[in-house]
Order: sequence, then structure tokens, then C-alpha cells
Amino acid sequence: MAQNQRPASILDTLGEEIVRIITPVSICMLMVVILVSILSLDDSSSSSAMPTIATIAYSETGSDSSWDKFMGALLNSLVFVAVVTAVTFILVLLFYLRCTKFLKIYLGFSAFVVLAFMGGEIALFLFEKFSFPIDCVTFLVILYNFAVVGVLAVFISKMAILVTQAYLVVIGMLVAYWFTLLPEWTTWVLLVAMALYDLAAVLLPVGPLRLLVELAISRDEDIPALVYEARPVAHHDSGSRDGVVRRRVWSERRNVLHDSGGDVNSNAILSGNAGSNLNSGVVLSVASGHNDTRLAGAEEGRVVEANAELSAPLIDRRMNDNMHRQEEDDTSENLLLEGIGLGSTGAIKLGLGDFIFYSVLVGRAAMYDFMTVYACYLAIVAGLGVTLMLLAFYQKALPALPVSIMLGVLFYLLTRLLLEVFVVQCSMNLVMF
Amino acid sequence: MDGSQSNDRNPNPNPRGNNGNSITSSTPVWPTIDGPLGLTEDDSLSYARKFYQFGFALLPFLWAVNCFYFWPVLRHSASFPRIRHYVLGSAVGFAVFTVVLLSWALTFAIGGEHLFGSVWDKLVMYNVAERLGLTGWS
Repeated sequence: MAQNQRPASILDTLGEEIVRIITPVSICMLMVVILVSILSLDDSSSSSAMPTIATIAYSETGSDSSWDKFMGALLNSLVFVAVVTAVTFILVLLFYLRCTKFLKIYLGFSAFVVLAFMGGEIALFLFEKFSFPIDCVTFLVILYNFAVVGVLAVFISKMAILVTQAYLVVIGMLVAYWFTLLPEWTTWVLLVAMALYDLAAVLLPVGPLRLLVELAISRDEDIPALVYEARPVAHHDSGSRDGVVRRRVWSERRNVLHDSGGDVNSNAILSGNAGSNLNSGVVLSVASGHNDTRLAGAEEGRVVEANAELSAPLIDRRMNDNMHRQEEDDTSENLLLEGIGLGSTGAIKLGLGDFIFYSVLVGRAAMYDFMTVYACYLAIVAGLGVTLMLLAFYQKALPALPVSIMLGVLFYLLTRLLLEVFVVQCSMNLVMF
Repeated sequence: MDGSQSNDRNPNPNPRGNNGNSITSSTPVWPTIDGPLGLTEDDSLSYARKFYQFGFALLPFLWAVNCFYFWPVLRHSASFPRIRHYVLGSAVGFAVFTVVLLSWALTFAIGGEHLFGSVWDKLVMYNVAERLGLTGWS
């Protein structure tokens, strides 16, 4: 019988994978821009002193000179990055001491705080703004439901994919909105500082994130963290019929690991049979002996698709903690993962920290004008594309922040300083737009 | 060849997918909405049961998520009887709770001051937030 299959073009596979990661990033950015434009306060009132960790060194007031503001922002960012570094090192230590249970509980707790308290506050802002007549009983019930199901989505490794992805995007959006409430100069310098920190922490051999990932690989465990994993794309090779499944054995990965220690570039080869999802998990858990962590890890990352043959390099995942609470000081850490890596199915994983900082950049741009929003959005997506290409090229975990943030900041400055003048003049003289 | 390979590889062979109603209706092999990326049947049973039981802690949204997650179970009425029991229970619970909550919320919103008098002002959320200082956190 004639096989009437188009050979899968690169648009189908690579394009689909990229779209599956850019879509949630775009949705998160869009929601933050909407929130910012709805709830935007005047500049004077927003820079009222909010005692946060990011403004602990210097609180920006409207009357300081630009140089003062810049130095103050620099000081704030240095403090923030120092705190983040310290917390990440603590995280590495805890992971080294195998306190995975504690980390998971902390993860759930911080997700609960973000969803319930931050989400509740933002909902209250919105209700106040629109004078929406909701009563406290209904509000509390809905908020409670929302928060608890969110914690379950983050905690449970096998929740519905759409629900988990939606909740991760919402958590990213909520945290990003709170970051946009920082004073302006501090936000921008903080973004640049975090991009540089990300670069250092992932690529330097002494960087905490690199250490964490190498630990995770050498133990073949999963780091409990907030990571967005895109749905794996089913590849249809031109030579395969619909029922044929091609599979390879899972065990090669472990062998390579044992031989080469923490070698980053070992290969994980997946079996393509839909039914062997559980099988591979069982093989791993029996073989390694870390029963609960392994099974959790196997369930979480190692989903398998029918008709797929993917040979994906081993994941390096990175982690980053961000401290940013205003009121709830003790509950001030999220286990956010920054950076981009490949899941063991070849599906792309993007840390929630990246979602957050991209959205902060675009949200801050929205506070100026929508022109800067468009420019920064394009810059960030371009940066993300570049990072994905580099990821495919180097096949190890890469920091997803630097390229996008640098491009975004550059485009923001160029738009604000140069493009705006041009566009406004043209529009006023009815030349363009 | 493919069938035997998949059965032999699958540690939880699912007979419902292969016999029974496969002639009249297409019974799904995977009980979850994620298909092969989701749970197997035994795991699904424990998940459905846990979601159903936890939903009684005033969590209708969890029941809704349960129905969403096991949508193939609801759609194909003859499959997975054990899971179906819990998913149906969740669906009924969610519907009942939604009706109750919605009727209360709509009565509150539409009735307003006429119906409730001064209590309305005390119950409405933005006033409560203002009173407790929840939004004026800076």
C-alpha cells in the first residue's frame, strides 16, 4: 500500500517544540502586562518604601539624582544577588545531605504562599479596582481551592499535564507581578545582575547551580524544583507505520553514568513504547535502590511517547532561589529553577525563574509604554530562540537569562531613547503609523 | 507483531482495551486525558480515589480536576468501571457544590443592599480587605 506521508519537515518537529515553550512564556508575559496596565499605580506612590530584600540597601525616592539612583540600585542588586547565592549554596548543601523530603515540603509550602497570599492580594486589588461585589465567604472558598489544588499540582508528579503547566505559569505570573512593584532603577539593574549571576552560576565550575546539577546527575536523582516542562513532541519518522514502535533500552544511561561519573554529556536513550513508561521507571528504581526519589524522578521526567524515538542528552538542571517577599518574611524562598535544559524525553524544560524574569522585564517595559513592550517581547523571544539553538548545539544545561535579558534591556533602552522620538515625530506629522 | 510487542512490554496489560467493547465502541487504553503520558490503570484508580476523598475537604475544584483528568473514563461509559465510580462521584459533587456556591454568590451580588441591608457592606470583600488592611500593605 502506498505510503503517503510527507517527510516530517523541520517545522513540524523543531518548530513544534519551540512553540511549546514559547507559548507559555508568552502567556505569562501577556498576563503580567495586563496586570501591570490594569493595576498601574503612579510612579510616586509605587516607590513608597516597601521593605523587601531587594530594597534593603537603598529605597529609591523620586528626588534623588540619576547617579544616586543608579548607585542605590546597584547596591540593592548586589545585596539581592548575594542573598540568592547564599541561599543556592544552602540548597546545594541540603541536596548533598539528601534532605529531599524537606526540599519537597518547602517547595509545596512556597507554592502555597505564592498562590494563596500573593494571588489573593492581587485578586483583592482587582476586585477593589472594579468594585466587584464578591463576598468574603465565596472569595475564601475559591482562593482556598485554587491554592490547595495548585500545591497538589506542584507536589504530585503525575498530575494532569495541562493543570501543572497552567499552575506553573500562574505562579510565575504572580511572582513577576510582585517584582514589578520594585522601584524602577532597582528593577533594571537587578535584571542585569541576575543575568550575570545566572551566567556565572551555571557555567563556572564553582557555580552553585552547576554543582547542584552535577550532584543530581551523579546521583541520578531529580532536583525538587519548579520547572516548566513542555509536552514532548511525537516524532513521526517517514519509515514508520502507525503501530510500529521503536524502542531502545533504557539502561545505557546508567552504565554511562557509572563509567564517567558526572559527565554531562552522557546519553539517555528512551524507549518509545507507550507502555514502557512504567517499565523504565521500575527498571531504574530497582537498579538504583533509591526507591522513592527514583520513582518520583522516573515518573516526573521520563514520560514516554508512542512512536517516538528520541535520543536526548542527559539533563542538567539548574536551580536558583529567589528571595523576594515583602510581608511574609519567613516564607521567603522559592525553589525556582533557572535555565534551560532538555528533559529526558527531549522535551524542553525551562526553569520558572526564567519565566519570572522575562515577565518582570516586559512588565516593567509596560509601565512605560506599549511600544517598549513590543520591542522587549520580540527581544526576549529572539533571545530564547538563540538559547534554544545553543542548547541544541551544546547539549548541556544553559543559562536562559543572559541572552534574553541583555537583548531585552538593550531594546528597551534603544526604544525609549531613540525609537520613541522617531515614532512620535512621524505620527505627529502624519508620515507613518 | 506490534500488538504482541506492546503487550509484552507493558507491565500492566489492559484487557479492557483489547476485548470487550472494542467492536462497538473504541474503549480507550489510557484512562487519563494525557494518554500515554499519563497514568496506567492501577495508578489511575488510586489517584481517582484520593482525589475523590480529598475533595470532601471543601475542595470542589479538586473534583473538577479529577473529572478533567479522567475525561476518557467519563466519555466512554463502559470502560474502567472502578475508576468511573469515583469520577462520577466527583462530577456529581462538583455540580452540586457549584450550584450551591453560585446561587449564594449571585444572590449576594445581585441582591446587594436591598436584600441584605447593612450586612452586605460588612460581607463584601473589598470592604473586608480594607478593614483588615489586607491591601494597604505598604
